[in-house]
Amino acid sequence: MSVATAATGLLPKRGRAAAIPTADRGRVRTAFLLLLPSLVGVALFLVIPVIMVIFLSLTRWNLLTPLKWVGLSNYVNIFRFDGMGNSLLVTAYYVLLNIPIQTVVALGLALLLRSKRPGSGVVRTIAVLPFLATPVAMAVVWNWFFSPTTGIINQFLAHLGITGPAWLSNAATAMPVVAFANIWQYAGYNMLFFLAGLQAIPPSMYEAASLDGASKWQQFRQVTLPLLRPTMLFVLVTGVIGSFQVFDTVYVMTAGGPGNATEVVNLNIYNTAFAGFRIGEASAMSVVLFLVILAVTVVQFRYFNKRTTYEIA
Amino acid sequence: MATATSEAPAARTASAAAKPAPRLGASVRVTVFYLLLLIIAIIFMAPYVLSIFAAFKPLSAILSQSPLRPPSPPTLANFRAIFTQYGFWRYLGNTLMVTVILTAGQVTFSLMGAYAFARMEFPGRNALFWVYLATLMVPNVVTMVPLYVLFSHSGLLNTYWAIFLPYVLGTPYAVFLMRQYLMTIPKEVMEAARLDGCSESYILRRIIVPISRPIIITATLLAFVFGWNNFLWPLIVTNSNQFQVLTVGISNFESNFTVQWNLVLAGSLVALVPMVILFAIFQKHIVNSISLTGINR
Amino acid sequence: MMALGIVLLSMLLSGCAGWGFTGSGGGKVTLTYALWDPNEQIGYQKSIDLFEKLHPDIQVNIENIPYGSYEQKITAEFITGQAPDLFWVNTPWLGTFIQDGMLTNLTPLIKRAHINMAQYYPALVKLHSRGPAIYGLPKDWDTIALYYNKRYFAEHHITIPASLTWQPGGGGTFLPFLKRATYDTSGHNALSPQFDPAHVATYALGVDNDVQGGWGNYVAELGGKVIPHPYATRASMTTPAMNQGMSFLTRTLTDAHVIVPATESGPNANGNNLLQMFDQGQVAMWEAGDWNTGGVKASASFPVGTIPLPIGPDGRVSIFNGLIDGLNTHTPHPKQAWELEQWLGSARSEAILGSGGYVWPAIKSLDPLFLRHWQKEGINMNAFLLEAHGKVANFPNSPGVGDALTEIFNDLGPAWLGTEPVSTALQHAETDANYVLSTS
Repeated sequence: MSVATAATGLLPKRGRAAAIPTADRGRVRTAFLLLLPSLVGVALFLVIPVIMVIFLSLTRWNLLTPLKWVGLSNYVNIFRFDGMGNSLLVTAYYVLLNIPIQTVVALGLALLLRSKRPGSGVVRTIAVLPFLATPVAMAVVWNWFFSPTTGIINQFLAHLGITGPAWLSNAATAMPVVAFANIWQYAGYNMLFFLAGLQAIPPSMYEAASLDGASKWQQFRQVTLPLLRPTMLFVLVTGVIGSFQVFDTVYVMTAGGPGNATEVVNLNIYNTAFAGFRIGEASAMSVVLFLVILAVTVVQFRYFNKRTTYEIA
Repeated sequence: MATATSEAPAARTASAAAKPAPRLGASVRVTVFYLLLLIIAIIFMAPYVLSIFAAFKPLSAILSQSPLRPPSPPTLANFRAIFTQYGFWRYLGNTLMVTVILTAGQVTFSLMGAYAFARMEFPGRNALFWVYLATLMVPNVVTMVPLYVLFSHSGLLNTYWAIFLPYVLGTPYAVFLMRQYLMTIPKEVMEAARLDGCSESYILRRIIVPISRPIIITATLLAFVFGWNNFLWPLIVTNSNQFQVLTVGISNFESNFTVQWNLVLAGSLVALVPMVILFAIFQKHIVNSISLTGINR
Repeated sequence: MMALGIVLLSMLLSGCAGWGFTGSGGGKVTLTYALWDPNEQIGYQKSIDLFEKLHPDIQVNIENIPYGSYEQKITAEFITGQAPDLFWVNTPWLGTFIQDGMLTNLTPLIKRAHINMAQYYPALVKLHSRGPAIYGLPKDWDTIALYYNKRYFAEHHITIPASLTWQPGGGGTFLPFLKRATYDTSGHNALSPQFDPAHVATYALGVDNDVQGGWGNYVAELGGKVIPHPYATRASMTTPAMNQGMSFLTRTLTDAHVIVPATESGPNANGNNLLQMFDQGQVAMWEAGDWNTGGVKASASFPVGTIPLPIGPDGRVSIFNGLIDGLNTHTPHPKQAWELEQWLGSARSEAILGSGGYVWPAIKSLDPLFLRHWQKEGINMNAFLLEAHGKVANFPNSPGVGDALTEIFNDLGPAWLGTEPVSTALQHAETDANYVLSTS
């Protein structure tokens, strides 16, 4: 979903009169009624919670004893005492492992599987299938796959004479495995976006490029990649926003371990709020995460806006 | 149109690149291509296939045999155990009920809102739509804690209501998705109906809905999959076995029965298989829906 | 305003959405009773079976909640109004539960029922009281002593003295005794000049990084405490007593190679690692709480004995702890819940638990029952009893102390692994514990 696309529908039209004719007042009421449920939903379950979380982040509260006002001290304490710094680093590490590899894989799959050769369609479908999989259920399957002795990965490595590590209890391999789980699940889905994007590039562009003597690789770099930037932006932005909030897989596969090597921010918030019942600190963590995601998204948009080519003809 | 023009450069680059024996180069490429296809297929199918194998084996077989070996003979004991002894009927029932309610509500109410945004004129329409869009930027995790507080104070924790309520009244994403689609329906269709004296409700039900079948199916699928796979919210909002959904049930089950892979994988399959079936039925639709999101101009 | 309306509407809806238990029909009340130990559960079931016979109108369902998530689950259930009527409370979260208003003050009920509180260990009554209020009838107690491998000591012809003494820095009889009892793979003990510290076959002693079953006792024998007094909002981890006690274990004994190094047992060793080593003959004496007796009996292939802790500068002090059954302040059946609480704190019930060897009864006169049970099983538990009758130091109690202790154990890890000076680790522990205690 491109926000730019959404925006084009909203440019103010000139000459809109202020007064509403009587015949349309009924229409306005109908429109309001049509909007009412989603409006209530947005107000009650999105807008109000956002306001609440900012307010809660300035308090100390455990839901059972009276609320206490503590100002901004939570924002300091979550870094000093609740491991927020570590969580941010761990999450950033996860995002850096996950998104670049996943994007490259998705693009690679798209380039390979757009072929018209028989069998490509089937494999395309197979690649997309995982994206519907219940992350919790898949995490259990991965626990089995990467189990030190009974898992197929280590059994396969044993055939090659290598003793595989305890994937999920080893600080060096735990996060990469979690990233792998996410890549496996969503690479095929993102491939679909790249396929659509590739399809939108007219063959005439490639013709022109090869007439100029460009090699396949140069065509890829000068034609394909630039024209894929909108798709790339979409895949990257949605991927990054989603990855910063990873929870299910980590909860089931590592529970933040070993130690806190995989304690991503969302898990830290969950533990702080629902195991420790520290609502104030958890709210502060949520706000910080929100700001980080916002900042990263803005940076991505800026970066791509400077370099996006929209003209095709 | 494309064939004639695209073959020419392909032939030229092919002849330019393949110096020694063009035939050999081509067949090597084909072999490599299908090899890659095979590897990709294996990577994406192996977890499903091997889990299915394991779920039909007794634990002893899983621990002693290679995971690649199919169960012989396959046994239903694991599934029988998780359904009769460990409460998976309840989890499945809860999940189905909650997800259906969530989906029905979300699609219906989002469609209504999308129609209002797309094809009705009223003051503040654009500003309000910007508000909806802005909330898209809010990550789920931000609302998790305050929503829990809200539900706690309403006495709604640990009820079925809690599980679907935040999603059932329509979501900005669904509204946005359907609005984009509805914008592509020519205005004249609705204008003509209005001139004929049809009420908006009639227009919506009799004209818009049939035309919007593709996007409605997409939105339904998305909502259903979301509800089915949702974990964090049901986790924090329910704590009795009575109300637990599949995801929470599977997670608890796994932490209690960690190395009993036969049971644990059977449990996972209860969640995974319906999604596979859903995918198989709606697969063409899913692929086509990508273009419906309008990301390419 | 709309939100308020929605909230009110929600409350209305929640009344309709009453999917919960519809209570009991026919006048019979069902109580839920939560605990975590599956072994003790067997004993409690026996006691409750008798209770149900004596109270035909009350049925009790025992709910087992694993210890790791127990505190969190009970709290979450309390928030949603689903908490059990009666539930085990351990001291790490006793203060928190009291402060959060989850436990009923039993003082008025005790007065009305004329329960004789003098029958219990005074330290337990003190532990579970806050001022004039008491939040549970004491029903069991634990002390810490040393389980030892009888066969090992017999094989090496080592007689264990009646009591041992220790001083910070290594004075006293304890360290030489430990050296006598540590053997390397070539058969030299640690007193011998040919002792090879790199190839120790059996360490004399295994001690956990733990306030109750580990260093807490040594620190207590120097007069030190984790928190200066109950319900304190700061920790006292950087006192000289704490420093000396911790250093005695992590430096003095570790440098002498008589104690299992944390690198082998893990820096936050749970008893399981050391128990395994004990069973395999790699540790001659395991310092642990009496609740481990069943586990030791089941897993050790040799006869096991117990000796009390060594005597320190402040005498012999063991950390003392006991559980209570918390009475949910929001129970829908307060009368019946109090009946159950009374029963479980009564001599008849505690006798069942004691004579079955499940726990030491909190009623002093019933202790011989527990002793006798284990004597028949071949383990003399007198060491634990001796300590209970001597000087004890109650397990630290304050809101948030459980979480504070988790921080402390984590921060002490490097000191146990030898990668950080003891004073630095203690400093970190105090800072982190102070934060938790002051914000709980």
